[in-house]
Amino acid sequence: MLLQLLANGLVAGAVVAIAAVGVSLLYGILRLVNFAFGDLMTLGAFVGVYANVAGGIPIAAATVVAMAATAALSVALEYVLWRPLRARGARFMSLFLASIGLALILRQAILLVAGPQPRSFDVDPYKVYVLGDIRLSVGQALAFLVAVAAIVVVGLLLGLTTTGRSMRAVADDRALASVAGIHTARIVVLTWILAGLLAGLAGVLAGLVQSSFDPNFGFALLLPTFAAVVLGGIGSAYGALAGGLLLGLATELSTWHGFLGGVDPVYKPVVAFVVLIAALLLRPQGLLGRAVRAA
Amino acid sequence: MSTVASAEFWAFVGVVSGIYTVLALGIQLEFGFAGLLNFGHVAFMAIGAYSMAILTVKAGLSMWLAAVLGILLAAASGLLLGLPTLRLRGDYFAIVTIAFSEIVRYVATNEDSLTGGSQGTINLSGPGAAAQYNGQWERFQAWLQQTLHIGAKDAAMLLVVWVVALGLTAALALAMRTPWGRVLKAVREDEDVAASLGKNVLAYKLQALALGSAAAGLAGCLYAWQFSFFSPDDFAPLLTFFAWMIVILGGLGRTFAVPVGALAFGLVFAGTRFFDFAPFSYFDSAERAYLRLIVIGLLIILLVLFRPWGLLGRRQEALLE
Amino acid sequence: MSGPPILEVRGVSRRFGGLWAVDSASLSVERGSITSLIGPNGAGKSTLFNIVSGFLRPDSGSVLFEGRAITGRPPHRIAQAGLVRTFQTPRALARLTVLDNLLLATPCHPGERLGRLLLAPGAARRRERQAVERARDLLRLVRLERHADDLAGVLSGGQRKLLDLGRALMAEPRLVLLDEPMAGVNPVVRNQLLEHIARVREELGVTFFFVEHDLEAVMRASDQVVVMSQGRVIASGPPSTIRSQAAVLDAYLGAGP
Repeated sequence: MLLQLLANGLVAGAVVAIAAVGVSLLYGILRLVNFAFGDLMTLGAFVGVYANVAGGIPIAAATVVAMAATAALSVALEYVLWRPLRARGARFMSLFLASIGLALILRQAILLVAGPQPRSFDVDPYKVYVLGDIRLSVGQALAFLVAVAAIVVVGLLLGLTTTGRSMRAVADDRALASVAGIHTARIVVLTWILAGLLAGLAGVLAGLVQSSFDPNFGFALLLPTFAAVVLGGIGSAYGALAGGLLLGLATELSTWHGFLGGVDPVYKPVVAFVVLIAALLLRPQGLLGRAVRAA
Repeated sequence: MSTVASAEFWAFVGVVSGIYTVLALGIQLEFGFAGLLNFGHVAFMAIGAYSMAILTVKAGLSMWLAAVLGILLAAASGLLLGLPTLRLRGDYFAIVTIAFSEIVRYVATNEDSLTGGSQGTINLSGPGAAAQYNGQWERFQAWLQQTLHIGAKDAAMLLVVWVVALGLTAALALAMRTPWGRVLKAVREDEDVAASLGKNVLAYKLQALALGSAAAGLAGCLYAWQFSFFSPDDFAPLLTFFAWMIVILGGLGRTFAVPVGALAFGLVFAGTRFFDFAPFSYFDSAERAYLRLIVIGLLIILLVLFRPWGLLGRRQEALLE
Repeated sequence: MSGPPILEVRGVSRRFGGLWAVDSASLSVERGSITSLIGPNGAGKSTLFNIVSGFLRPDSGSVLFEGRAITGRPPHRIAQAGLVRTFQTPRALARLTVLDNLLLATPCHPGERLGRLLLAPGAARRRERQAVERARDLLRLVRLERHADDLAGVLSGGQRKLLDLGRALMAEPRLVLLDEPMAGVNPVVRNQLLEHIARVREELGVTFFFVEHDLEAVMRASDQVVVMSQGRVIASGPPSTIRSQAAVLDAYLGAGP
């Protein structure tokens, strides 16, 4: 039982972790709290499901299509919305509001085109992979493998490539990075591409794990994603990864009967938030965040 | 546009705008004046409404007393939330407040015995009995109609809501002109300077949060009275964002802009209902609902792009931010 | 200038990462004196100010204000006890008026407490009237009376420094920590301010402790000079003594720009 919960937790956590990295990059590099990220994930899931179910193409290819779509949209929005906003000197509040407006538009557009009914990917809902005591649905197994692979890739990208290091440099100190010769405009576009790819991927994977989803599910995922980013420490992509995994695990494990009788599964999202609040009270800068100096 | 709706419809829009005014005034105080990023505001609206309903139906209290207690409970919840979390940096505090509002909504949805669960307050007396908390309110409304010789019930509600809304607006405007209000604004501008001048920053933030939450609780009671029945889904995060939008659209820190912003918002929201011309005419009513929100989303973005200081804000102030 | 020191810093240390920003610093400031803190950039002067005023906790050591330990107490309590500070970068509250900026510093204002405001509005109004008068006097002193009703955000950098100073004085402190109060201020105004500081010290016994880079002004105006370098206090004494000490010259010449 415990192992099953652990497995579920890792699966859910890995998916949240991917989304969290995207959100974290956008905040770290662009100082943008992107409320539209959840609906971007929904878009990814829906493009994926249309490609897979209506278009008949296999899930792997559908995922690539979905990721391309969300990345393309993100870049387009950078030129149409975010760059003009920054040019007008928009600060935190304006950017945040714009992302709310964008979230509204995205979600309603999806509802308009696809309707409110739930969708599912073309996977056998009855097939189960059995590993000892652990049972995983096709969706879960796929999502986990891909998520782990993606996490490793992103981790390597950020840690080892010049682009990745430039991104982290810009996130740390934009002015300094600019002076050091890092071309910030290029980094910004690359950030949107990466964040867009991650959003699309996270959306498809979340759709696989949940086995059925409607246009509202992206936003529901956004809150645990933000929680993961904050838990890991804002500005740290690795922190976001750790935060996502931790929250996924904590959420699932809390329902274990050995843990004070177990939390009612309905309250799982609440557990995530309680963990977050408790962690922040103990370590206000998050797991890997840096303490902020006073004055 | 096709036929303009009946007076009842516009009275309804007016009432909802008034309720939003009260809700948004809380945000104006918390963010416009004290600089707090509270994105869980709707939770306190829920606490106010539910406390009032639960105390009336289950504890048999007078509805008026229950309402006062509901507002006080909302304020106390704000204090409880703020005490450990206001020390966090602003954006972390924001996330925590969202978490809090979701927790409240979850509890409301799942604790059937306490709150009636997902079916809402009608379930408060248990299954099979349709619980009502509204009795005293209906009687009050009837009395009002009689005393003031108003014909329509909606008109009485409209009057009550706007008396409260405008009264609260005036109170907030007055409060911000006081030395206390000045300290709040200083806390917003630069906490360190405020602290270096002997101001207990945390205490002031807590006061703003408590008072803002009380306003949300009051909005919750008004909402409960208007609709006579409600469920947890009525208190979705979207309402918090609408309150934020109203404050920012009206102009941050401009108290009298809040009712204007709320009315504008209500009119746009309701008015788009009547878009009967092409391309809207190609869609059925469910789809038109989505379109309306798209229009609103576009309007928000346009406003942010071209008039970020809001309809009535001062340009100079926005530039100094 | 008699009696125990108004401020004592004993063996205060604070590190950031691997660097000791302040390293076992000890100094004392005589009551009613004008004391300057000098040293090259990065010497730890602002960090020391932050520790003394409560904005930073030291890793070790203690700070005594008027004989009482204030180490680790919250900054607003320290300010209420009579120790007020300004910041290195001018911190005008941009969206408040210049007058409001000053009025904010009014000590013991009943109008600032919600309870007192509601129960005793008359007392609040009286205090506010007094405060406005005093604030206008201070604005005249720092040559900002023309801007009283302007938003502070329109002031130039130098003017904001003056506002900071006026605000600090408005708080009726017993010890004022000024972090580079004259940076960006023109020499005529600077001299007038130094004169006023001297007068406030004479008439009210207020102690001034400031960080300043203009060595000439420092030597002329101060009773006492404290020199810091690389987190340590390397010298302390009257200007004439400091001027001749080799260590001081080393710190300034050796540490570079």
